Amino acid sequence: MVESFQLLTGGFVTALQPVNLLFALIGCILGTLIGVLPGVGPAAGTAILIPLTVVLDPTGAIIMLSAIYYGTMYGGTITSVLLNMPGEAASVVTCIDGYQMAKQGRAGVALSVAAIGSFIGGTVATLGLVMLALPLTRFALKFGPPEFFALMVVGLSLVTGLAGKSLVRALLAAIMGLLIAQIGTDPIMGAPRFTFGRPELLDGFGIVPVVMGLFGIGEIFTNVEMKAVQVFETNMRSLVPTFKDVKDTAWPVVRGTFIGFFLGLIPGVGAVVPTFLAYSVEKKLSRTPERFGSGAIEGVASPETANNSYANAALIPLFTLGIPGSPTTAVLMGAFMMNGLIPGPMLFKENPQFVWAVIASLYIGNVMLLVLNLPFIRVWVAVLKVPYSIMMTVIFAFCIVGVYSLSSSVFDIGVMLAFGLVGYAFKKLDIPTAPLLLTMILGPLMERGLRQSLEMSRGDFSILFTRPISATLLILAVIVIVISTFRAVGAVRGADSQV
Amino acid sequence: MTMKRTYCIAGSLFLLLAIWIAYESLQMRYYTPLGPGPGFFSFWLAVLFGGMAVVMIVQAAAGPPEPMPADFFAPRIGYLRIGAVVLALVVTIHALDPLGFSLTMFGVCAFLLYALGWQNIFVGLLVSLACSFGAYHVFDHWLQVPLPRGIIGF
Repeated sequence: MVESFQLLTGGFVTALQPVNLLFALIGCILGTLIGVLPGVGPAAGTAILIPLTVVLDPTGAIIMLSAIYYGTMYGGTITSVLLNMPGEAASVVTCIDGYQMAKQGRAGVALSVAAIGSFIGGTVATLGLVMLALPLTRFALKFGPPEFFALMVVGLSLVTGLAGKSLVRALLAAIMGLLIAQIGTDPIMGAPRFTFGRPELLDGFGIVPVVMGLFGIGEIFTNVEMKAVQVFETNMRSLVPTFKDVKDTAWPVVRGTFIGFFLGLIPGVGAVVPTFLAYSVEKKLSRTPERFGSGAIEGVASPETANNSYANAALIPLFTLGIPGSPTTAVLMGAFMMNGLIPGPMLFKENPQFVWAVIASLYIGNVMLLVLNLPFIRVWVAVLKVPYSIMMTVIFAFCIVGVYSLSSSVFDIGVMLAFGLVGYAFKKLDIPTAPLLLTMILGPLMERGLRQSLEMSRGDFSILFTRPISATLLILAVIVIVISTFRAVGAVRGADSQV
Repeated sequence: MTMKRTYCIAGSLFLLLAIWIAYESLQMRYYTPLGPGPGFFSFWLAVLFGGMAVVMIVQAAAGPPEPMPADFFAPRIGYLRIGAVVLALVVTIHALDPLGFSLTMFGVCAFLLYALGWQNIFVGLLVSLACSFGAYHVFDHWLQVPLPRGIIGF
């Protein structure tokens, strides 16, 4: 533990350099802006802004992208409270009581409580990252290819947690992601697979064009097919919570922190689950549950705390094990790789200065957001008054620059268009897009793990079941899949009996 | 209106895709003395994908009907706007290298602003200029991210 804090101190020395502070500040502002804009989620927003970091050194680039990531989590709250319009999916639940508070003239208090709760949640989760990073990394360094394959299987099995109404549709998306990951050069034998003779496909599809297509262009399609939303402006009297507000929100903030933190450790849960769970826990524990839905401050404090606690905790599996737990952390993983860094245990061993500087910057970014967020609220609301045709055109231009600048190839713009249509079709068919992205990233790692394992055992599959860690992880994956299947079957039977 | 037919059609398309992938996978080396070959994973994934597609079709055909969301079909103007975005992307793909970033994006952004609801000609031109020549200046000159120059040289 002492070692972790010593390394963190070294990280602060790097993160507090003026240039890195500037990158964190720019990231926080851009992230909040992305969070405020409806229709541009954190994943697409982070992907769109990757080109801005191309010229930076890896530390500066990841500090800025991380700041964009948690900035989006703050930004989504503003529109939820003021306009009843969630900037991103994790802020949906905040609309319920946040907007009611705004209608009562307590928007400022709601936003203050959300900002303070987010700060506490984010800071505690980052502390968890500091404490868990080295033990988890040391454990993961014992992993050989069979254990690594089993770990990836666990990650994939948890994708079932991202299922919306239908487990079958989530699994279809997950398998489609794995199939897309097959495109390119075979990792062991070097043979081309599904490349159709196109040299651009030899490296497979890039993460950024796929993310921008699914989450950026797909969202543009969804937005332009509907009528533009009229922006409603609310009255903000005071930003300062009363003593009663502080008393009412103290325990919800604590509970939200823990819910967000523990769910953030599990890859595949998604940012929406912790917020809804935090909300329902508060409603269940309340002596006056009837207040929920009509402006209960606990209904804002707990989900918002859980949201940011989750966002920071989700970095733990990414940093220590190399498993992205959400689409946005998958984009961050892509950004790591573009900077020549592979997230996982070796990152702490080979680039300790970089990784601890990024962790230190998470603390700094949380403080920045707390200080910046409230004075800028009126600016963010003004951004929403920009006509949507202009907003969509600007986002469109950013998507083009973002995709083209990474590979200097128009082929990737075509890939983005294709995945934009896939994202739109998935939305219409209610197929979740997140499993596709996660499996597309985990697929090659899993395949490499399995094939290297079988090379070690000369083609004998029992190597996966005879090593204790590998066997335990595979049993865990089976348990997760069985539970998810039973729950899905139960849900179908429930629906049958209602008909 | 329910989603029954929609899911049956989607499931059938997924099934056809799975069959094609399985066929293509078998054209590659399935197994080697050291373990799975390049076609092994894709074959079994195609089998799983096909299996899930069949489950989707069966669920849609035999299960309780899922109601169609009210916004499943967009109004005509909505589809026209989607078409405009697709057209803008297709034009960008074909014109970006020969015409250059600035000219292509100026034309495409002006077209998009018009198609999505032109506000004001001066604002429209200003936004188009910012998204094309402005973005080129920021990325190419300040951020050193090379963008295609095309026929006008910038």
